Amino acid sequence: MSNEIDKTFFKQLKSFAQALDWCEANHQPLSALAMAYEMHRRGVDEAAILAQTQTLIDQMRATVRAGSADASPTLSGLTGQLASKMMAAASAPCRLMSPTMLKMMAYALATLEENSRMHRIVACPTAGASGVVPGVLLALSESPDVALSDAQMQRGLLTAGLVGELVSRRMFLSGAAGGCQAEVGVATGMAAAAIVEVLGGTPRQVMDATAMAFKNLMGLVCDPVAGLVEVPCTKRNAVGVVHASAAATMALAGIESFVPLDEVVDAMVKVGQMMSPKLKESAEGGLAMTPTGQAFTQQLKAKGNVHSPESE
Amino acid sequence: MDGGSLFDILGPVMIGPSSSHTAGAVRLSMLAKNVAGQPIKAVVFKLYNSFAKTYQGHGTDRGLVAGLLGLNVDDDRVPEAFERARQQGLVFSFEPQPNQPSYPPNTVLFDMTLEDGEQLQVLGHSLGGGKVYISRINEYKVSLQGEYPTLVMFYHDEPGMIWQTTRIIAEAGINIASLVCARKHKGEEAFMAICLDHLLDPESVQAIAQIGNVYAVRNVDKIV
Ligand code: SF4
Repeated sequence: MSNEIDKTFFKQLKSFAQALDWCEANHQPLSALAMAYEMHRRGVDEAAILAQTQTLIDQMRATVRAGSADASPTLSGLTGQLASKMMAAASAPCRLMSPTMLKMMAYALATLEENSRMHRIVACPTAGASGVVPGVLLALSESPDVALSDAQMQRGLLTAGLVGELVSRRMFLSGAAGGCQAEVGVATGMAAAAIVEVLGGTPRQVMDATAMAFKNLMGLVCDPVAGLVEVPCTKRNAVGVVHASAAATMALAGIESFVPLDEVVDAMVKVGQMMSPKLKESAEGGLAMTPTGQAFTQQLKAKGNVHSPESE
Repeated sequence: MDGGSLFDILGPVMIGPSSSHTAGAVRLSMLAKNVAGQPIKAVVFKLYNSFAKTYQGHGTDRGLVAGLLGLNVDDDRVPEAFERARQQGLVFSFEPQPNQPSYPPNTVLFDMTLEDGEQLQVLGHSLGGGKVYISRINEYKVSLQGEYPTLVMFYHDEPGMIWQTTRIIAEAGINIASLVCARKHKGEEAFMAICLDHLLDPESVQAIAQIGNVYAVRNVDKIV
């Protein structure tokens, strides 16, 4: 493809179908399209983009290290020990899941607990969904069977980024705008895409994995207790890595999505619009309105918040 | 919607817990600080809608103070913003306001007293993922996102205003990325925002302020 044709293509790139056509016509993985897109979008070279991607990977790793070694309570006190419990479980034999899967969950929890401690994380695509993509990639990098290199992780991350980017053309990626399907939901699709890419699946399988991840979290509500990005967000990220892995595994086994990815995303957008505002980050529905959720909210109000100016 | 960078999705590296309520708050304050363009002595944060309900739990309060102190979204010191503000003599307080359905979910009005005594009000919004914009400076409607150094001016609509302004910018050797003008009616109060490749120097800003019919000029740097 000449440079000019390329330019027009990247300008007009909107759908997953177009992305797939490009990959198949050029015999390239989705990460190559992601790289080419970003180079054209910003006018920077490959090395700069890879360096930026590596910075994110380094931070994700630092966050997970800190989070899995720390069992101190978060600011609200709602969580803080989930990652360390999961790390302990990951080092013992498990009759249900592989050690890699347990680590994925532990790392997702570790990231979210760091987030709730007001420590440094990488939003991916948001802070509330920041555990899913790092969870799968970092655990795969440490798995003896897979042992992803940083270069492979970069490819996985770029693929995830392109998936998120194409979705964000059609919906705002925030719980307030689209419910949790727009946060953890989108993160699982990004993670499923990354897994298939780094495990050597075809671009078509990447699309199928993403579609299956999205389809099965469609309509997920955003219902944080007391409005904090913590319950259910933290554990939802841990379930998200399993969900992403299931979707990726199905795609790699040759299972296709009956509804194509573009149509799935359009359906998500419509579902997001149909959802009541009470189920979109206002803490007025779902778990936030349960007796337990309400009792905690009252308690928090009565205490004055843990980090209100008055309490200092 | 237009295609963005993949790094709008991957990242930012930030202090938790919320991209819209914490990182967005920091960035909004960084932009408000740039609008002020001089040290800020005191500020009242008037919080609206979702910001009013959950500003403590999300660290929005600390984020807002941190941005005014010049700390960025990934700065470890964001959680200690209150202590730092006190050390630096910045007086701040928070006032949650009643719901305002016409404002976006995450909205704050910065009510600031600047070093030279000027009172400055800036209305800002966090849109999610760290994206922010400012929609009002004092009584003037604007639209500022902090992506470019921007010269914002308010003036009485008259022929030749654009030419006079852009000539001064051209003489300063600075390239114009885009220019937006808005006015309510012909011959009334108008607003111009000029996005630049570099921040304009103070002398040129002064020269623009002295063009007849200009009420106010703000030279707002971009946020990084
Ligand atoms: S429940 Fe809401 S706040 Fe929590 S991760 Fe999902 S979208 Fe974000």
